[in-house]
Amino acid sequence: MDTKLIKDVTDWMKTTDLAEFCYENNGDSIEIKTQEALPEPARFACSLTAVTAPAVGIYRAADKGQSLTLAEGQYVEENAALGLVETVSKKHKITAPVAGKLRVVAAQEGQAVEFGLPLFFIEPQEH
Amino acid sequence: MASDLQPKPFQKVLIANRGEIALRVIRTLKEMNIKSVAVYSQADRNCLHVRMADEAVCIGPARAAQSYLNIDAIVTAAKMTGADAVHPGYGFLSENEDFARAVAAAGLTFIGPSAETISMLGVKSTAREIAVKAGVAVTPGSDGVVGKNYHAVARKIGFPIMLKAALGGGGKGMRACLQEEDLDRMMSTAQAEARANFGDERMYFEKLILNPRHIEVQVAADNYGHVVAFAERDCSMQRRHQKLVEESPSPFVDEKTRAKLQAAACKVIKAANYRGVGTVEFLMAPTKEFYFMEVNTRLQVEHPVTEEVCGRDLVKLQIQIAQGEKLPLTQQEAAQIKCHAIEHRINAEDSTRHFVPCPGTITEWVTSGGLGVRVDSHVYTGYTIPTYYDSLIAKLIVTAPDRVHLLARSRRALAEFTVSGVKTTIPFHQKIIGNADFIAGNTDTGLIERMLKQEKEDESQK
Repeated sequence: MDTKLIKDVTDWMKTTDLAEFCYENNGDSIEIKTQEALPEPARFACSLTAVTAPAVGIYRAADKGQSLTLAEGQYVEENAALGLVETVSKKHKITAPVAGKLRVVAAQEGQAVEFGLPLFFIEPQEH
Repeated sequence: MASDLQPKPFQKVLIANRGEIALRVIRTLKEMNIKSVAVYSQADRNCLHVRMADEAVCIGPARAAQSYLNIDAIVTAAKMTGADAVHPGYGFLSENEDFARAVAAAGLTFIGPSAETISMLGVKSTAREIAVKAGVAVTPGSDGVVGKNYHAVARKIGFPIMLKAALGGGGKGMRACLQEEDLDRMMSTAQAEARANFGDERMYFEKLILNPRHIEVQVAADNYGHVVAFAERDCSMQRRHQKLVEESPSPFVDEKTRAKLQAAACKVIKAANYRGVGTVEFLMAPTKEFYFMEVNTRLQVEHPVTEEVCGRDLVKLQIQIAQGEKLPLTQQEAAQIKCHAIEHRINAEDSTRHFVPCPGTITEWVTSGGLGVRVDSHVYTGYTIPTYYDSLIAKLIVTAPDRVHLLARSRRALAEFTVSGVKTTIPFHQKIIGNADFIAGNTDTGLIERMLKQEKEDESQK
């Protein structure tokens, strides 16, 4: 492979706005891609299941007169109560979509939450 | 007691809407030094109103029923952000009495009329009764179901008349009867159709106004009994009751008729004990006689036309009234005509294929500019039009000292407007501006349908 050719092409490409360059000659081929042409890095595959706010409102761990403590590392059953979001006229219950270990507890008592805000992350697993 | 109301300036206002109207309201709030809160659905995360507001709250998923029509979510967002008033914009919940009531029940101010007024004027027959009591003409009709003496009733109204089924809808059991000779025959076919569709053959009559114009009067009323009416808007250029072009003043309305229109609109508004800005819609016959149709209890899409003609910010006026201030302008000031104005509603629709919506990504967006051009829009290059909401992407508002110059400027501004990636109604607006009847001011609510029919005929002859 002619390294001078590669250097020349690379230098020349810097003077243009080309992102990719392909060249073939007698079975020899080179392909040069600039930084911009590189594909996006693979997204981090998350094995955690997010539990998001079902409505805009105030997050409460439990209804008045009741209590619920949720700690990171704790195991929750599927459909286990994870608190509620209170709006001006309704209470939206939050339940665990899968059984597993509570890895992140982002929800704080009395916190104002938007629709879709992640409140918990659960690592799905059998007990 | 109205006099006990002390003007209380708002600190923060939530806008219960999206798109261009949300931006429109935010702009005025900024000028008034009032903080703004935008609400948005998950489909609108990248919308300009979200970026332009001081705060933004996601209220639900893309579907409007769960977001922009979700009263509980919007009122909760208003309470949570500490807003003291809610502006409903147009469409969505703007004429929903339950929403107005819920906002008030939460201790916030609804920028618009009271829930009672919205409810009262929302029922066509009640609104009609108010107009009649106020001495404003409504389309003559049988005022209820007709009996065996229907010939006499029809003669009293005067032909042509519309035969309508009491339980009717969707054009079923409806007949246009031009002369008395046809009445018996049409009555029996309409009754048969009504019986088949609604299991009820009771009919009522209404006067049929041939080639009517849609003329509407913008009004504003405060808490202290003051009412003003602005110069009329001509919204005759519509397709299937969807307005495409609105202009003010109307090329058909003379000064004498204008004064009558304004007086009639004020009478209805006073009789309804209305508060806020609103619009009184009339149907105008070729004889210039006009009949009350309905009151729109919201800010309308075409309000900028009036803003340009009178030189006033109508959103600011809404806010001032809601804050309990007295109307800051006299009838004379409201009615002044500073220029001629027209609005073109630019929709992402294919006018060559029955105006089918064309959602998609805008790859190029260059709006018109220059003297006398205003573009109210929420769109930018790279913006993707969601499929969930209406297809309005911009309002092109053009002004000039007179109508001749207005049409020339409109033609220029439409040619300048460049949109790539989706089909728009711009080419159809260019046809309207070039239409001989439109240029001559001979518009009525059927003109656009006639234009489309003519186009179809021309194409089939090719």
